[in-house]
Amino acid sequence: MKKEFKLLPKITFVFIVFAFIAFYSSAVFLTNEADEFIYENLDSRFQKFEHSIKHDLDRGGSIEKLRNYIKIDSVNKSVDLTKYPVFSDTTIYDDELESDRSYKKKTIIIESKNQYYRVELIRLVDDFMRLREDIFESLIPAFIILAVTFVLFAYLLSGYYFRPFNKILQAMKTYKVGEPKNISKVKTNTAEFVKMQNLYHEMIDRIEDDYQRLKEYTEHMAHEIQTPLTIIRNKTENLIADEDLMDKHSETVKTIYNQTNHLSKLGSTLNLLTKIENNEFNKSENLQTKPAIEKFISAVEELVKLKDLKIAGNLNPGHSFFIDPILFDVIIRNLINNSINYSHPGSEIVITTNDDSLQISNYGDPLPFEEDKLFERFQSNGKTSNSLGLGLALIKKICELNQLKIEYSYSGGMHNFKISN
Amino acid sequence: MKLLLVEDNHSLNKDIQEYLIENGFTVETAFNLLEASEKLSVYKYDALIIDIGLPDGSGLELIKQAKKDKINSAILILTAKDKLEDKLEGLNLGADDYMTKPFHKAELNARLRSILRRNLFDRDNKIAAGEIEIDLITAEVKIKSKDIILTKKEFDLLLYFIHNKNRVLTKESIAEHLWGDHADQSDNFDFIYNHIKNLRKKITNAGGKNYITAMYGMGYKFTIK
Repeated sequence: MKKEFKLLPKITFVFIVFAFIAFYSSAVFLTNEADEFIYENLDSRFQKFEHSIKHDLDRGGSIEKLRNYIKIDSVNKSVDLTKYPVFSDTTIYDDELESDRSYKKKTIIIESKNQYYRVELIRLVDDFMRLREDIFESLIPAFIILAVTFVLFAYLLSGYYFRPFNKILQAMKTYKVGEPKNISKVKTNTAEFVKMQNLYHEMIDRIEDDYQRLKEYTEHMAHEIQTPLTIIRNKTENLIADEDLMDKHSETVKTIYNQTNHLSKLGSTLNLLTKIENNEFNKSENLQTKPAIEKFISAVEELVKLKDLKIAGNLNPGHSFFIDPILFDVIIRNLINNSINYSHPGSEIVITTNDDSLQISNYGDPLPFEEDKLFERFQSNGKTSNSLGLGLALIKKICELNQLKIEYSYSGGMHNFKISN
Repeated sequence: MKLLLVEDNHSLNKDIQEYLIENGFTVETAFNLLEASEKLSVYKYDALIIDIGLPDGSGLELIKQAKKDKINSAILILTAKDKLEDKLEGLNLGADDYMTKPFHKAELNARLRSILRRNLFDRDNKIAAGEIEIDLITAEVKIKSKDIILTKKEFDLLLYFIHNKNRVLTKESIAEHLWGDHADQSDNFDFIYNHIKNLRKKITNAGGKNYITAMYGMGYKFTIK
């Protein structure tokens, strides 16, 4: 996967790079400007000098006198004029300041009265150069201050400006299909966030719409098939009463009868599942589990005996779940029925409750499929054709809706289901 | 014994009607609230079988009407399995019993007989079938005047058979009758077999005939000529 970066640091980084380029190019520009200025300044000075020296010489001024100010020598006429003027840098030690000072030097040839003179013009450029260097020296700290400020600003304000964004994300995270009531709009005037939030809400509306339709469809299906199924079943029972017919077709009739019953049970269980999802069982109370479980144990006692099993409850009277009693009934019934169906003959089923959890364990063969598929709908080990494969899906749904946690484990040949707060 | 059957599904209505006629009832039918209400105000019935979900209103209205007009018919309501509140309201209004759809007709027959008996005080509380005699109040069973001791489940089972004599009762129907909500346990069928074996033994040991026969691996029949 490609490395991911946060938006604000990314922007900050890009900004700093651009700021650096801007600062650097302005520094270069200013330096060039300074150079140009210095050059022009020197040039005009040197020209003025040249002029006044030539003027002086033309009027017959003596070189000796001029030597007090500048370096001037007469040169042979054979001097190569194309080599001049010559520009150079030089430093001269200043006694007063006790340091070297920079000078620009221009060596030229002046012609006066048929005589060539080589003249070295110098000019102090120390201040100019210092000014030029100051451009960089002042821009670098300015850039650093800007960069640091920007980083700090981004770091400190990201929390503030991104708070609506994070809130929207949080809302997205907690959203569950079928529970749109939880979503409140986050207040923000950041256009991007507003746009994102609006889009997200539109999306949820569409999802909810589709989900409702799908749910209604399932509901109607599950509900509407019941009457036709009852009719089929009743008609089949009529056939069962006909002995002549049954002598010939008992297997066929039996299959029709069994499958119709299966379909009918499937319908009513799916219906129950939908009702649970619709939160129609909302009479939650702090339910003491001990009496409810004991009632159930006694209801299945005969059956357990018949299957050569034992069932024992280690029940803590203080244990309770906050749940609708009807739903708890569905949970405990399915878990117990499950354990009875998949227990090794002669073994014991143990139901334990302690302060905050309920566990039901039984000895049985390991799951013939992957553990994480256990709670999926229509997952059944195929041992009993009568099993709908909906029991555990039902339990999981109930637990989800009641903020209970259900865990499954298989250890030491035992299936363990644990429900905790 | 005259019944009014109020059920909007024509197929189901006809089916139940035929079944109840076979079981010796006289059955009038109605397919909606209006029709039922009219019949109820004109004729007298021993029992009313009322589906709650009717196209033109709730069947609960009929119970209200019956109670207001002091009609003392026995009332059995039919509700969809998931409508718990209808069931409770119906019983509060004065219905004698309820059944949730889908139901077994044999179960309907048994329930109907039971509420009719409760409702008609002048009736005899003894039932006889062959050599078997049952006192419904004391739950005593006699074979050729000899007491036999049955468990609660065996007694229920015997009564269910006698109410539905000479008919095949499927295992599903028996399981639902005996265990109601716990009937969906697949292993209940083994259980039925056990109970039937015991019941049969108790009857034959007391000198009774073997009335109960297994049918096609699907159910059992209590035959009495």
